[in-house]
Amino acid sequence: MKRFDLIVIGTGLSGLTAARTAVDMGAKVLIAGWGMGALTLFGNTIDLLGEVPPETDMAEGITSWIAAHPEHPYARTGMAGIENALTDFQGLFPPPYSFAALGSGNSLLPTGAGTMRPTYLIPVTMAAGAAMTPPGTLIVGFRGFKDFQGDTVSLHLKCRGVSLSLPRYGLEGLTALALARLMDEPSFRERLGESIRLQMAGERFIGLPAVLGFRNPAVVLKTLEEITGARVFEIPMLPPSIPGTRIFHHFREMLISKGATFLMGHPASRAKVKDGRCEGITVQNPPLATQYRADSYILATGRFLGGGLWAEMERIVEPLFHLPVFQPGERGKWFGERFFDPKAHPIHRAGIVTDADLRPVDETGRVVLENVHVAGSILAHHQAIEEKSREGIDIATGFLAAKRALAL
Amino acid sequence: MDLKTEVLIIGGGATGAGIARDLALRGIPSLLVEKGDFTSGASGRNQGLLHSGARYAVTDPEAARECISENRILRRIAPHCIEPTEGLFVSLPEDGPEYRSDFIRACGKAGIDALPLSPREALALEPRLNSRIIGAVQVPDGAVDPFMLVVENARDAESRGTRFLIHTEVTGLIRDGLRIAGARVRDRITGEAYAIAATWVINATGAWANLILGMVGLKIGLALSKGSMLITNTRLSERVLNRCRPPSSGDIIVPNDTVSILGTTSLRAEDLEHYTVTPEEVTFLVDELSRMIPDVKGERFTRAYAGVRPLLQLGEACDDRAISRGFALIDHGSCDGIEGLVTITGGKLMTYRLMAERTVDFLCERMGLHVPCLTHVQRLPGAGLGNALKDRLLHLRRQTPAARGEILCDCELVPREAVDAILREGKVRELQDILHRTRLAKGTCQGGFCVYRLLGLLNELRKAEGSGGSNVVLRGFLEERWKGIRPVLWGTSLKEEELIESIYKGLFNLAPEEPGRPGGGEA
Repeated sequence: MKRFDLIVIGTGLSGLTAARTAVDMGAKVLIAGWGMGALTLFGNTIDLLGEVPPETDMAEGITSWIAAHPEHPYARTGMAGIENALTDFQGLFPPPYSFAALGSGNSLLPTGAGTMRPTYLIPVTMAAGAAMTPPGTLIVGFRGFKDFQGDTVSLHLKCRGVSLSLPRYGLEGLTALALARLMDEPSFRERLGESIRLQMAGERFIGLPAVLGFRNPAVVLKTLEEITGARVFEIPMLPPSIPGTRIFHHFREMLISKGATFLMGHPASRAKVKDGRCEGITVQNPPLATQYRADSYILATGRFLGGGLWAEMERIVEPLFHLPVFQPGERGKWFGERFFDPKAHPIHRAGIVTDADLRPVDETGRVVLENVHVAGSILAHHQAIEEKSREGIDIATGFLAAKRALAL
Repeated sequence: MDLKTEVLIIGGGATGAGIARDLALRGIPSLLVEKGDFTSGASGRNQGLLHSGARYAVTDPEAARECISENRILRRIAPHCIEPTEGLFVSLPEDGPEYRSDFIRACGKAGIDALPLSPREALALEPRLNSRIIGAVQVPDGAVDPFMLVVENARDAESRGTRFLIHTEVTGLIRDGLRIAGARVRDRITGEAYAIAATWVINATGAWANLILGMVGLKIGLALSKGSMLITNTRLSERVLNRCRPPSSGDIIVPNDTVSILGTTSLRAEDLEHYTVTPEEVTFLVDELSRMIPDVKGERFTRAYAGVRPLLQLGEACDDRAISRGFALIDHGSCDGIEGLVTITGGKLMTYRLMAERTVDFLCERMGLHVPCLTHVQRLPGAGLGNALKDRLLHLRRQTPAARGEILCDCELVPREAVDAILREGKVRELQDILHRTRLAKGTCQGGFCVYRLLGLLNELRKAEGSGGSNVVLRGFLEERWKGIRPVLWGTSLKEEELIESIYKGLFNLAPEEPGRPGGGEA
């Protein structure tokens, strides 16, 4: 049986961050996950806390948020913990494809529904979206690419939009993944730049769906900007997320190059628990079931979508360690009467409650498993969808969990 | 714009559309108004069951005979709206053999073919049935598409000159002394108000009957009963499955295209416009129907819905006018002294044609016309065209990917072309109308993905203008969708819901309409 210093369960942004932090501390790490996590569905920019108005300084905004929300995961990491973790994240993405805040607070970026959305760290390929002015902007969609409706975006942003035809690429195969792969080819992006240039009427900004390639998005951006003479920006759209997939691949390559063991598509199906400690996990790769052991474990399996939580008909459970879950009341009370209820649905507060070191606790506050730390959206008492805090929680708690796990 | 017609029909459910067709086939001009889209009421909110009548054979032989007779007529005139699945009445040990014997005997008396099956035979036909069954009886049940049936009736009438005004609401009845001379109506989309003059007004509003009658101070005895149903993500059985016991709640599973519908509950309803499926009803249906098919427990549900049945409670004064135990035709001239107004209500989807026939027979008698009914022999216009799931899949398979074009809805394989065709017809007036006429948003994701795409198409065609942009429409759709999925959110459905919320509230930052929110939602 292989033995590790740390086993991270979950390959979303929180698990990746935890594994990366541990690897940087010199630990021998195994990271195992079922899929690629919410990162590849919704990860575009790094949200910290969208609730903070754009004109407010982010550190001030979060500090007062923590004071008002003592149970929130950010109250565990503190503002300093968030800042350290973010600096670490940014260090992983050096220019040209880098992430930066555009000011001291949130910026507003256009979305695939033509709305504006607050976010904090922005990849270089989206930065111009915060500066665009509607009359000087052209939105470019692709005919047959149904997951980005350029007309919807331009109608709401009150700017001009065009739909380009890509006849030689057919309609059937026009998915975000296919478009992103095409963008990686120099000849395609050059021809695309020319087609866009022909449609322009003096616009200074060009918005495209977020499909500017996997390998060198900054180069795709530069090519398009040089040909069109305008500033180009990507617009986040329906899943899958190409920008999130870039983040995932970048982490994965870095982890493997630094010697971490990376198991993809293998869910951790069972945990062996004895005397308040985890003594190993079983990873399923049918017909094989392999056991792995480590000194410490980080549970970063996400919420319902990621499989970290499961809703039975009458209660919410955590299927791997059977940890105590903060319950949102009986089933009839899990969700509000309206989809757009003014208050977030109570179920979003469900999750794992931890001590200050992110170890899971029961209702009385007693630590349930000494050598297990919990990170990411599976934690209780946040409302990441409404607050716009998903990536911030993942990065800050993933970072802290690894630090604490290795400090044992 | 004021209009004039011979017969004004209020209500675009099965009864109203059936009356319009019957009148048209007998050459009597009519006009139909419906405040929503076709089948907005109980006609669109039932199990889609083509009754054999077997369910009533023991308790109500008259209703059973009506059902089997209409069942045979519908198979003839509307084969394209029907999936002839057959049905099983399944006895569990707790149902006992006695009721089964009574049931078989009663079916025979009512003229319903009933074939007894051994447990082994039944399990060979439906392997997911509870293996503890003590027997089953096969009867000629089936599945019917109520929306298509109603639209086909309307289409046939329209081709013969009948006019249909959907999203048009009656705001008042026009009285001329002791006569009703028409109705005042309002277009619910444009707000335009006008009058429709008519010699006869037919109140075919089902559960809403007293809303119309109340406009002239009348009222009939009508109780409202809410029935809730669940839709599964997959088709659980090939045949309709019934419990072989006296009619009660939670006793039927109807296959419908790629899914199954589990029913039903029966609770008194007070409010016609606002009712929900409660968590208790959902738990009850899952528990009760898992006795028949144990897999129901682990099944993913995509939606719950409820309909309100109008139950007749006629007083002494009008009892003699109830021409069947199931439905009532009330001539308010002889009953209340107000001429020119007829109410037809009660009944069930299965007897819509018969109800229409009786209504038009009555009108003809009063008009002094001797024209026979033709609706039981004249086939609906689309009869002979295939439209079932099998045909849809075959059609898709025969096409090359290029010819198939863009698929808007990946769950149900709805091509963009199908939506384009409906828009070209020019009759749909809002998003829900498109959803009623296609299988868009009926699949696993319940429109989570395809509605974004559909809105893009609407914007492209500039159909969504004038309503403040499509995000108003999008919000409206998501709220409407919510009513159906909220009751079934656990397990896999709940996972999907996290995805949809993450898209629309997270990624797209669509917020409740409240000022001062960061980003402000709309640009």
